[in-house]
Amino acid sequence: MAESTALVIGAGSLGGPAALVMAGAGVGRLLLADGAITGPADLSAQPALAEADVGRPRAAALAGRVARLFPEVACEAVEAPRAPGLLAALVARADVVVHASADAEVAFAANDAALAAGKPLVHGGVIALSAQVLSVVPGQTGCLRCLFEGPPPGGPAPGQEAPILGPLAGLAGSLMGQEAVRLLSGLAATYGGRLLTYGARAGQGRLVPVRRRPGCPACGAGGAAPSEPPGSPPAAPGAA
Amino acid sequence: MAPTDETGRFARLLGLPGLDEGALARLRAARVHVVGGGEVAGPALLALAQAGVGTLYLDDGEDATLADGRTWLCTPEQAGQPRALAVREALRAVSALTTVRLHATGVRPSATLVCSESQGTATMAAERARTTGIPHVVVLATSDGGDVVTVPVGAPCVRCASRPGAGAQARGGVAAAMGSLGALELLLLLTGLVPRGAGRRVELKDGRFEATATERRPGCDCAVVY
Repeated sequence: MAESTALVIGAGSLGGPAALVMAGAGVGRLLLADGAITGPADLSAQPALAEADVGRPRAAALAGRVARLFPEVACEAVEAPRAPGLLAALVARADVVVHASADAEVAFAANDAALAAGKPLVHGGVIALSAQVLSVVPGQTGCLRCLFEGPPPGGPAPGQEAPILGPLAGLAGSLMGQEAVRLLSGLAATYGGRLLTYGARAGQGRLVPVRRRPGCPACGAGGAAPSEPPGSPPAAPGAA
Repeated sequence: MAPTDETGRFARLLGLPGLDEGALARLRAARVHVVGGGEVAGPALLALAQAGVGTLYLDDGEDATLADGRTWLCTPEQAGQPRALAVREALRAVSALTTVRLHATGVRPSATLVCSESQGTATMAAERARTTGIPHVVVLATSDGGDVVTVPVGAPCVRCASRPGAGAQARGGVAAAMGSLGALELLLLLTGLVPRGAGRRVELKDGRFEATATERRPGCDCAVVY
């Protein structure tokens, strides 16, 4: 585990707990990618941020907190993740990719980049009172494009913050971190090929099978992942 | 914008369906007794402070260890200190809007969140809350998940709602997930986003979540003690 590297895309309310869980489990290096600046709203949902972090780059703030709690973990903040080609470069350095941003386009870019590199991906999302977690294992499970084909039109703009209740994101982010640790340990992913959706009001979860879709451009047989458009994200995201 | 500006800070909560200024005011007025200070309690405490709970009473008798980074609150330099003091310091940095105090005899909490790693201690703390007539949420975490039991005033007690503990204590991501779930259930209760009178148990097992309404066990005196 200490030799492992995890890439966390998004340092908000999902990425924070995911990073803390992985650091606590002894993951050796965390690459924390996020282009946002910590705002007051982050203080209601990101457990690694404190009031003194407002105005600082969110990736650096998260890296600083993880380093104080777990000095043995090497943390690298990537604060300008929109640079062309950077996503693929970061994925190449990682043993597991954790997508924790609120930006659907980034989610699909992360999905494609991880599959192209043959790296497992843990995806999570949270909005209002529902949360999702899915693990994608290249060659074994379906992926985000098998489920949705592509980002929904008219989704939230990058940086737009969806309403959330902090501990729901903490729950999903913790499960995401745990998934990444399982994958790095060589264990079967709990949510590999099955999408967890959890509704907080009802307290009910659902597991939706995610099978490989023939012809999926990212993971289907004979398919090739769409290449990263020049100058477009790896952007890290607005707040999750 | 100052970090303590409540409008910006709680904008994401106020966007939630059914959560209004009145719910935020109830959180500000809440005085929550949190039992435990370990890997389950740490994420829960952070979530309650960040959500704007007015007062937290810390109830933890352990000393911090080098492994307590996994509480998300204690740094290695604080190993050997009373853990509650280390936790209080971290929570004060997270939110100046929340008063963080050590629990002491005579305090009057309005709700309790039990995150103890011992089922016996958890049951005792829940009973204390029940007989005092305050709503409580009990996290009973195990190595692969566990239960979170919500007990509004008058609902079936934790003894009615829980099952025997199943094995090793929760650690790592499971502990953090269960602590977060405990805080989530308490916030849903305090804000009125779930019906106030109904008790329920949310179980996490093998990655699956399931909620069931709690039922009073025949012969349990929890219906008549108040």
